[in-house]
Amino acid sequence: MQQLIDFIIRKKNVFVYFLLLSFSLSLIFKTNLFQKSKIIIFSNSTANYFNEMFNNLNGYFDLRRVNSELVNENLFLKNQLENVINKKQLDSLDNAIFKYQNAKVISNSFSSFKNYLIIDKGLKHGLENEMGIISSKGIVGIINYTTKNYSSVMSVLNIDTKINAKVKRTSHFGTLEWNGLSSKNLLLNDIPETAEIKVGDSIITGGMSLIFPEGINIGVVSEIIKQKNRNDTIANFMINNQVKIAKIQFKENYLNIVVKLHTDMNNLDIVYVIESLNKEEFKNIKK
Amino acid sequence: MASTFLLVFKRFIFFILLQVLIFNKFDLFGIYSPYICLVFILTFPVKTSKISFMAVAFAFGFTLDLFSNSLGLNATACLTVAFLRPYIMSFIFGGFFDPLGLKLIKNYVSDSSFSQKILYISSIILIHHFILFSLEAFSLKHMSTVMHKTLITYLLSGFFCTTLIYIMIGNER
Repeated sequence: MQQLIDFIIRKKNVFVYFLLLSFSLSLIFKTNLFQKSKIIIFSNSTANYFNEMFNNLNGYFDLRRVNSELVNENLFLKNQLENVINKKQLDSLDNAIFKYQNAKVISNSFSSFKNYLIIDKGLKHGLENEMGIISSKGIVGIINYTTKNYSSVMSVLNIDTKINAKVKRTSHFGTLEWNGLSSKNLLLNDIPETAEIKVGDSIITGGMSLIFPEGINIGVVSEIIKQKNRNDTIANFMINNQVKIAKIQFKENYLNIVVKLHTDMNNLDIVYVIESLNKEEFKNIKK
Repeated sequence: MASTFLLVFKRFIFFILLQVLIFNKFDLFGIYSPYICLVFILTFPVKTSKISFMAVAFAFGFTLDLFSNSLGLNATACLTVAFLRPYIMSFIFGGFFDPLGLKLIKNYVSDSSFSQKILYISSIILIHHFILFSLEAFSLKHMSTVMHKTLITYLLSGFFCTTLIYIMIGNER
């Protein structure tokens, strides 16, 4: 016993280190959401207060840019409204499926692998998990956590995000992911090689879920990375056994498409929250 | 002792504010932002005991986490670097390093050779970034991305940390 106590006293640095390390690791991998949410609420109320103060001060420097963006968007919307009115006298509120709310970005990160935004609206304003967030130019992210006054948004610059998207011209569906290396580009996977995608095609949301309505801009195709030539596979087919070939061909049938985002993720100020009015109905029919 | 406490307290607040309000919003190359907060750990007074150093570094990382919505990541990285710092210092500075802490950081800056300084700063920054990014991604699938990002962020933070150390070390008591 004496020796054990001596050993602990001698190695007390190491013990303190592992104690603190286990505490911090448990913070990262904690599955018990209750305690985690307690800490997040605390950090929201203190850190967001500071961030909001600093943002209010900073907001004045951006007014000119924000104003011109709003004017452009107004113009675009006015044109669209004109089209609707000319076609038929429809009350657009009658068959609205999505409702929009504006919100302001308080804090925005883009330098980690799992980036989150904080916006200044929460449960009090009717926000819930899994609502989509867009800016005036394109998509921004999905709400993943809400408190009374604030919501945390999982940005598209997050290696866990998967968003359903399609190519506007050919209507091929794919999954949007982020590779963690550039804040301007996303990767569009799962599009078959037979699709004739060209550089410059625009990518829009697919509308397979009620998070984003169909047809919101995401970006344009900036690069198409093709896998190896098909001839190589045939050559392999002659030499190797069949099991290997099956794997190679499976991989080669898909394109890797680099999509340049319309939204400047480093420079967000005002965003819109999309609330789906038919969420309950959709859930019921999916059961 | 009281003066050391005051110095650490002042630097604690200064570096948290510097990192959170200015350098986290830094977007020189899109997604890379330098970790200037490591200067706090690099220039922590050698005199303090290892346990209090680790506790302060843990609190420092935890406060950074609260502001950046990443619970526990910065805390783990800062804590590990603080634990390893005495070993790294004795390894790099050799007989020149005294664990009792009679020498100030100022003496280390003026008396050590150029390669020693570079080795000390780079080893601490590389360890910190590697732990931070690999814990954040937490999958082997993204390992090459983690290495890529560690290297580029290391160059950025190394530049800023070295500059800041030279600026602030002049008026250390």
